[in-house]
Amino acid sequence: MAELTHAQIWQVMESRILPKVIKPARYIGNEWNAVHKDWQQAEVKMAFAFPDVYEVGMSHLGTRILYHLVNSYDNYVMERVFAPWIDMEEQMRRYEIPLLSLESGRPLRDFDVVGFTLQYEMSYSNILNMLDLSGIPLYSAERSEQDPLIIAGGPCAYNPEPLADFIDMFLIGESEEQLPELLALISQGKQQGWDKATLLARAAAIGGIYVPSFYSVEYQADGRIKAFKPVRDDVPATISKRIVRDLDQAYFPEAAIVPAMEIVHDRVMLEVLRGCSRGCRFCQAGMLYRPVRERTPETLLRQAQAQLAATGYDEVALTSLSTGDYTCVQPVVTTLVQEYGAKGVGVSLPSLRIDSFDVGLAEEVQKVRKTGLTFAPEAGTQRLRDVINKNVSEEDLIRTARSAFSKGWSSIKLYFMIGLPTEEQADIEGIAALAKKVADIGIEAGRRNVTVTVSTSSFVPKPHTPFQWEPQENIPSLRAKQEYLRGKLRDRRIRYKWHDSETSFLEAVFAKGDRRLGKALAIAHSKGCKFDGWSEQFKNAAWLEALQEAGLDPHFYANRVLEYDELLPWDHIDSGVSKRFLAAEHQKAIKGTTTSDCRHNDCYVCGVCQELDVKIDLKGGGTVAN
Amino acid sequence: MRIRAAFAKQDAAKFIGHLDLTKVFERAMRRAELPMAFSEGFNPHPKMSFGSALALGATSVREYVDIDLAEEMPPQEFGTRLTEQLPPGIALLEVKEIPMYTKALMAVLNCTCYQIKVPLLLPLTQAKFTEVLQRFVGQDSIPYVRYAKNKGRQDKDLKPYLRKLSGQVSAEWLELELEVVLGNQGSVKPVEVVAVLREFGDLPLDVDGIRVHRNGIFICDGQGMKSPMDL
Repeated sequence: MAELTHAQIWQVMESRILPKVIKPARYIGNEWNAVHKDWQQAEVKMAFAFPDVYEVGMSHLGTRILYHLVNSYDNYVMERVFAPWIDMEEQMRRYEIPLLSLESGRPLRDFDVVGFTLQYEMSYSNILNMLDLSGIPLYSAERSEQDPLIIAGGPCAYNPEPLADFIDMFLIGESEEQLPELLALISQGKQQGWDKATLLARAAAIGGIYVPSFYSVEYQADGRIKAFKPVRDDVPATISKRIVRDLDQAYFPEAAIVPAMEIVHDRVMLEVLRGCSRGCRFCQAGMLYRPVRERTPETLLRQAQAQLAATGYDEVALTSLSTGDYTCVQPVVTTLVQEYGAKGVGVSLPSLRIDSFDVGLAEEVQKVRKTGLTFAPEAGTQRLRDVINKNVSEEDLIRTARSAFSKGWSSIKLYFMIGLPTEEQADIEGIAALAKKVADIGIEAGRRNVTVTVSTSSFVPKPHTPFQWEPQENIPSLRAKQEYLRGKLRDRRIRYKWHDSETSFLEAVFAKGDRRLGKALAIAHSKGCKFDGWSEQFKNAAWLEALQEAGLDPHFYANRVLEYDELLPWDHIDSGVSKRFLAAEHQKAIKGTTTSDCRHNDCYVCGVCQELDVKIDLKGGGTVAN
Repeated sequence: MRIRAAFAKQDAAKFIGHLDLTKVFERAMRRAELPMAFSEGFNPHPKMSFGSALALGATSVREYVDIDLAEEMPPQEFGTRLTEQLPPGIALLEVKEIPMYTKALMAVLNCTCYQIKVPLLLPLTQAKFTEVLQRFVGQDSIPYVRYAKNKGRQDKDLKPYLRKLSGQVSAEWLELELEVVLGNQGSVKPVEVVAVLREFGDLPLDVDGIRVHRNGIFICDGQGMKSPMDL
């Protein structure tokens, strides 16, 4: 059928589609502080595509940063697009309306670049679905010179291989570094009439950009990788991550978009620091975002002031991988509460470690608004916590719980993982015992309505971590552990929740997968798989069929022990942390030996500072509990 | 002090839900640095109350909200500053100070008018429609069923809510003027009236394509219809 004009599309959306879908505000744009630029004036037009629903995507800090960063350049325009929910997709397909950007309502085909953010493996099927809804061929090889360049970045880009068939290039690391450089190159390419191949070759030289079509993979008979090589000599053998050197001076938006509907993290977000060197061995973010770089209190307070004025939010969250570790957390919180508390503005600290938790600090935060407390001991026994290098003790937890209960809190959430390397029955029993102990402390402290919520997820081994060689525990065994805990935690003070182990299994497959998985992903998409991270949408049977039809054994990826000398699918992506260090950490884990935080102890040469010529950057100079 | 404001909700803003609209106002007031008054208690929130929730997807020429301020200020200034901060589609029309003892909007507003347009699936004559309409409104009771998410099936009667209903047929549309009672027990939704009417008269109406526009909310007494701004 003939292409609909913009006005015709909006007419159909407004009169026929939006009245019928849930949360129509997801699709209307025009939010406060949204950026509307002159399309004709822009040299490069990029769509930022978040492969999940609006309220999830809009809650993501990286999205906010990149959106406003790119739009701060006069010559570029960035517009947003999110995955339409199932009901919206149905209507769009019925009325033959392509996926549209929120700002100008243009189809994604009209953009020069479409950039997907890879936050979670279970959003990959949505990427294919969004391309499909845009009428853009899924496979890079099938796209023409007229189709937009499809790029991707974010933490999952550190193992880009499962998406290698679909994405033209991956941005590795902190993309606020190389994205403007890439856009400048694209602008130059448009002026000089480069073809896509020329652009890709020039982009691969920028640094931190991986063009999968420039590399080839060979496999051994047993399925393992035999060789991974560049097919041309002008591209690097390994791609190093890009990193913001001076976080304090780095771009940060002062007028973030204020959605007109409730989103998941509906507040001002300040990034107090980036990175974490606590060294938990299961934690991918802890390895990928090294080294720790902090912002100064002055910068943060200025950003808080500007953002509150520009957004009208009533809450400021101090975000990072571990906000209690920020060396200036106390003065920043105190000042924020003093300055804005009377205006009904609250402060929240979403990620606190048990050992860095300070009840005084939490009380400060609670002056304005009461929230629950959440801690992540991760494992039920000290032995296993040492294995994973989660350097918190039972005493830490008990002490923290006691003071929190005595100060008036009555509910605490505890996060654990099951299926961790070396885990034994005693460790599972430890989870139940710890939960009961915490509940007992609440009663002792005089809280009659104590609630302890225990939540377990299944361990997923992730690339670029010391546990990357570890297998995931099989589903029946994980289920048995969940069942055991369900029985053990029958206590009116305790609530037990667990993550579906089938989803975790598929997450492991894609986290550690290679290029061959692209075929399975395309088949799964054709079987209607989407929103796999939403348990009610997850189609496990369809996924297993897709893997089988692609001739792949998912257990090969998820449940196999990898060898140290094996070529891993993500070995050509360099996070700065050396494989040698990861292997040494893995060995220490098996022995139950811990490694201390390098911020306040000697450098143990994970490699990142040496290789990338960066430094740990602490602003308080103070010490952190260790 | 207490401010009563009238505002319009138009264009794409009609897809902003009622609870979200409260947030939209609160954030706009914060950006405008207006001295909001807060409730006491665990989770303090701005003292603000709207007249009557407008259905998601409906536009309105005039809605009302009462807002308490912690400091005195000229209503004019309040209006100017808030207007600058309201998102597209939400337009402030009138602002005035009202006494603190004024009855809440919810307690006094008791009648609302809608303009409704429904696409026709087949041609319909004015005569046929008028005949159906007369029989429809002439019934002693007009039973219908409402399915609510948490209440399940409810058998209801539309008749006590219906004050006026008239319609004009054009080539492609049926245009209705509807006036209903807003009561303590709620009210009837325009889409419900249209659906029941279609069913009753077997009319060729495309209810999915309905467009609802609220034409006003009033205080009705023996003397007629008054605006809550006219105290």
